[in-house]
Amino acid sequence: MDHYVQALHEWLLSTPLSNAMKTHFWAWPMAECIHFIGLCLLIGTVGLFDLRLMGFVRRVPVSSLHRLVPFGVLGYCMNALTGMVFLTGFPGQYIYNPAFQSKMLFMAGAGINVIVFYLTLYRRIVVIGPNDEVPVPARIVGAVSFICWMGVIFCGRFLTFYRPPYHWCPWC
Amino acid sequence: MDWSFQGLLLEIEASGLSAFVRQSPSMLGFPTIIALHAIGMGLLAGTNAAMDFRVFGVAPGIPLSALERLVPVMRWGFWLNAITGVLLFLGWPTKAITNPVFLLKILLITVALVNTLYLRKEVQREFAAGAAAASPKAKVLGVVSLALWTGAVVSGRLLAYTYHYIDASFDPR
Repeated sequence: MDHYVQALHEWLLSTPLSNAMKTHFWAWPMAECIHFIGLCLLIGTVGLFDLRLMGFVRRVPVSSLHRLVPFGVLGYCMNALTGMVFLTGFPGQYIYNPAFQSKMLFMAGAGINVIVFYLTLYRRIVVIGPNDEVPVPARIVGAVSFICWMGVIFCGRFLTFYRPPYHWCPWC
Repeated sequence: MDWSFQGLLLEIEASGLSAFVRQSPSMLGFPTIIALHAIGMGLLAGTNAAMDFRVFGVAPGIPLSALERLVPVMRWGFWLNAITGVLLFLGWPTKAITNPVFLLKILLITVALVNTLYLRKEVQREFAAGAAAASPKAKVLGVVSLALWTGAVVSGRLLAYTYHYIDASFDPR
């Protein structure tokens, strides 16, 4: 396992993109700006949808709020791309960073949660009108999604404070 | 007390709260403050974007009147960021105040907040007059809103790369 991680680390460092991120001063800040705009798009649409499922903003129909989700997907894509750019720039700062590892776990949690939502609940939920009660399973899915995305942001901001070689986490 | 520019900055930096933000090794100090600042940003700028998208005609099923229900979410984001923002400012007042990008950020946020008030007022006025879709005037305010909030987010993010001095000793970085 360590061998593969090491190989990935070295391959990422050898790419022209990794080099470009270090040689152009504004490359990193520009990618950061896109990453934060993507964050706002995601929280403003998917986060709002989660809050609706949890029982807030009840006057807004669930189906209509769902029409904003494509903007959240756009934000997600912006962040996935810029995230991979960061990883390629300084792989060592991320791969061995417990905050990054936790962030990936929260993202996986959000991913599994969204698959469960669309496979099992979506068709029942999307017909819910204004002021209607949301069934408990959908409330739970909304809360899990919201908590996962908050966790992603928290861990994302905590990356800086758990940079290798400084290592601390409950399981290592 | 020294009322000069540098004197005031030194005074702030010598305070206990400033030292806590700057020096506390606790993860509940600076790291949590800056993380909450990012979450507040997502709630405030993100919910504003959602309102703008509705004004542009995306998600027409959201009644214009229901847009007011998004305001509490914005308010949560605003107060979270006002509090964490003041804490961050107290931690590094010189770094912030000597950076024109910080002044631009505060200006953008102020204008964006006023613009959001105008947009809400316009949308509710149109709803009261029986409109189901927002007028071109409201759409212009929506475009301005998106531009201002994007500018506020970008200028905030760039603070880490554009500062000139770290503290009131005014040693160049």
